Amino acid sequence: MTKRYGQLTALNDVGFSIRPGEILGLIGPNGSGKTTLFECMAGVLAPTAGCLLFQGGPLSPHSRRRTLFYLPDAVTPWPAQTVRWALDFAIGFLGGRRDRLDAVIERLALAPLLASAIGALSKGQRKRVLLAIGLLTAQPLLLADEPFEGLDLRQSRDVAAALRDHAAGGRTLFLSIHQIVDAARICDRFVLLSGGKVCGEGTLAELTELARAANAATAGNLEEVFLALT
Amino acid sequence: MRLHRTAWRWLIEKEARELLASRSWWVLLVAMGPLVGFAFIGSVRTYAEASGLNGTAAGVGEAFSPLIGIWAPTFSACELAAVFLLPFVAIRLVGGDRLSGALKLESQQSLPPAARVAAKAVVLLVGWFVASVPAAVAVVLWRSYGGSIYGPEVVAVASGHVMNAGLTIALAAATASMTEHPSTAAILTLSVTVGTWILSFIAGVHGGIWERLARYTPTAMVGEFQHGLIRLDVVLASLTLIAVGLGLAAIWIRLGVPVARRVGESLTIAAAAAIVLATGAASTTSWDLSESRANSFPLADERALEAIREPLSIEVHLAPEDPRRVDFDRNVIAKLRRVRPDIHVRYLSATSIGLFEQTSAGYGEIWYDVGGRKAVGRAVTAEAALETVYSLAGVTTSPADDDDVFRGHPLVTRAPGAALTFYVIWPALVVSAAVRARG
Repeated sequence: MTKRYGQLTALNDVGFSIRPGEILGLIGPNGSGKTTLFECMAGVLAPTAGCLLFQGGPLSPHSRRRTLFYLPDAVTPWPAQTVRWALDFAIGFLGGRRDRLDAVIERLALAPLLASAIGALSKGQRKRVLLAIGLLTAQPLLLADEPFEGLDLRQSRDVAAALRDHAAGGRTLFLSIHQIVDAARICDRFVLLSGGKVCGEGTLAELTELARAANAATAGNLEEVFLALT
Repeated sequence: MRLHRTAWRWLIEKEARELLASRSWWVLLVAMGPLVGFAFIGSVRTYAEASGLNGTAAGVGEAFSPLIGIWAPTFSACELAAVFLLPFVAIRLVGGDRLSGALKLESQQSLPPAARVAAKAVVLLVGWFVASVPAAVAVVLWRSYGGSIYGPEVVAVASGHVMNAGLTIALAAATASMTEHPSTAAILTLSVTVGTWILSFIAGVHGGIWERLARYTPTAMVGEFQHGLIRLDVVLASLTLIAVGLGLAAIWIRLGVPVARRVGESLTIAAAAAIVLATGAASTTSWDLSESRANSFPLADERALEAIREPLSIEVHLAPEDPRRVDFDRNVIAKLRRVRPDIHVRYLSATSIGLFEQTSAGYGEIWYDVGGRKAVGRAVTAEAALETVYSLAGVTTSPADDDDVFRGHPLVTRAPGAALTFYVIWPALVVSAAVRARG
């Protein structure tokens, strides 16, 4: 997939694969093209070239809506409405699963916030509401842009656990994360993105090998691998 | 299909909730009371003053027509609100989703963008009906004073304002979808409105094609409805423009579609609309819903004019801004066109205001041609014009039946309770409702 804005190339022939049921982390510095890639995948942005392949065939816009759901970062949807209404809306309008509602509310500790207006929530609380909306949706693949942004340490750990459990239920998660520590904690595999290009793809062990092959000395942790490859 | 129906219901509920949460809509609601009240109380006072001077003889009845004396000025408050307040409500509802990021979530639902825009338009229109309640209250108050109400007139005036609101909503929806920020959309919307005013001004100065175009501006459209005249071509043009605005909104509200494709689709819509507008402009059907038949000749004259089989043409040597031409257009040409759509009218003048042509030979003359027989006159009254046409056609008409003459409905009243209703009760009700709705 390629995306250009005039002379600027935001994504340069980006290609990788996502496996069913895994948690794939998209890691890259600020401005590396993570959000652009997610928005192109979700159909929010029109890519200059390229397409998504699903089970070997190109994904049409209609099929894409049934296959993946994209959770953007830094949005405050329906700020005047309550959290409870937003979750009901996610079920009624976005085709979310009502059978997950109670579990999602409990897992993300949203019960005290249900009657609050979304616009009145803190950044971390809003992020949890957005994650709840994402977890309620029924598409087999969930793209979440910076799911840990704005969360404190305890909340990050809780959300990571919730996402782990969610993936264990069979859903595939593709998470854009700029905090390496968060990514290392939760992801099964990684895609390293830098300057709009994929610099590496694989498990931590595979990426470490890749870094060593590039003559970089690493101690086998994600931070050093990331620095070596990007 | 079932999923779509459910999604549609959720969308309507969401838009309604967003409207209720919108401060701009509540401001519109509050403002409508004093706006309508001021117009209504002023027009009732003027109507009463004129009624107190008597004068119910034939020829002055129009002065005591509630259509012109009460409904046109009272409902004009709606026009003011539609131009200066409603666009912000519409832009907030359409552009708010983009600004908050909700659009990125909602656009992942498979509901077509046209349905999403339609939901917003429906809710906005319902919101406009609620905002128009003070105008309906004015009708009830007028009735309680013993005033005459001729239903078709009120329906005509109200329909004009609903159509005008529809145009505003469509325009605001289009600009809000095409721009990144609501403030840009507001500037664009107001620019278009000011543009139509400029068009009307140019039409007044230059006439010709500008004059024909200016007939389709919202102001001109509302003006005709306020006179109880419903023209099919104007209705078609308004509905087409509403469809174009909402269509553009549906095109531009989509995410992830290349700009070039959206521009192409917009141009296609514009071309289709131009064809519909050109076709509709040929329509000459119209309905005069005024009780006084303000837009029509007396029935006997209409029958006589229809009976003339020969071609009829008129050459008017008056400048566009000459008051005599305005009178002649309103009193003669507009009415003639309703009976004889085939009439050919030609305007000739060297300047736009005619002030310096007064001494020119032939200025002020009106030439009538019926089947090649010509006559000239200078009077701009309907009676003089008809007399000339009849004499050229060799037609005699029976004198107008005195019973057919509209004598009006004079009423002397001081509009009791109106000030309290519009300046106190309505704003108080709206504010308390807003507090309850917005928490």
